Amino acid sequence: MSVRFILRAGDRGYSYLPSTGLNASYVAGHPDGVITRHSSFNFHEYQSGIPGLGVMKVFGDETFTPGGTGYNMHPHHNFIIMAFVLGGTLTHINTIAKVDELREDDYYVFAAGSGGKHSELNIGEQDLHVIYVWMLPGQLLAPLSYRRNRFDRAAGANRITCLVGDEQGALPIGQTVKVSRLLSDADRTHVYRAAKANGIYTFVVEGDVEIAEAILTRRDSLALEGEDKIEIKVRTAGTDILVVETKL
Amino acid sequence: MKKYLCLGCGFSYDEARGLPEHGIAPGTRWVEIPDDWVCPDCGTPKAGFEMVEIPYWSEARPA
Ligand SMILES: [Zn+2]
Repeated sequence: MSVRFILRAGDRGYSYLPSTGLNASYVAGHPDGVITRHSSFNFHEYQSGIPGLGVMKVFGDETFTPGGTGYNMHPHHNFIIMAFVLGGTLTHINTIAKVDELREDDYYVFAAGSGGKHSELNIGEQDLHVIYVWMLPGQLLAPLSYRRNRFDRAAGANRITCLVGDEQGALPIGQTVKVSRLLSDADRTHVYRAAKANGIYTFVVEGDVEIAEAILTRRDSLALEGEDKIEIKVRTAGTDILVVETKL
Repeated sequence: MKKYLCLGCGFSYDEARGLPEHGIAPGTRWVEIPDDWVCPDCGTPKAGFEMVEIPYWSEARPA
């Protein structure tokens, strides 16, 4: 097994995006609205850290204040954009005439393909906490698509649940990529089985775990390669982790 | 002939196709595009593009 990198929560890229000034056309919301974003990888021109892992280019841990804060309608091509809602309510609007509302444990996969626009808004009264993941597509300029699903925390307790990928109940994206989630009680060890040629990125949403002899706490992450069996030792109750498996 | 993808938004540039609607003729190599050129969709600088080897969806469909 080899550890490609360990990224501590505080070492991620950080963007503070108020809805006024330079961001006025980019960030929606009243004048006090702000989006904060912790990026695990390079994002746009904002940081110069780790360039992603495999086909994953963005892993953004974001908070939108209430009152209409969000991203105004803007265009994309090609990228497969996923949102995993951790808390609050996300309103997603896109150009295939979809207005959707997602709450805690809901997630979507928006494949921008041949081109589409979207807006991401918090019109709720609480902060919105959401993780955005962007993947390169298997094919360029595919038809635009949007699908959503929900992580069932009762059925998913103490087991690794595939959210995105070629598994029953998950949203497929047509390539060698999987996103899984684990919600676990303390003092349990879970085994994630991967294809040895793939890279594995584990991100601790809450709690703490030991993986590959490293202790990871809230919002820490670790990437591994060359391993087909990853042991995740959960140390505290309520641990919540996301696992991304990607071809390298 | 290579393809490049904007990491800001996913806009793709294909040397074979160029971008005639933005004044770049088909066959224009990436190195021939000025360094101060930016993504027409999101404004990301040329340096924020990455070379990709991904087929088009239309090519990947069985005939
Ligand atoms: Zn762009």
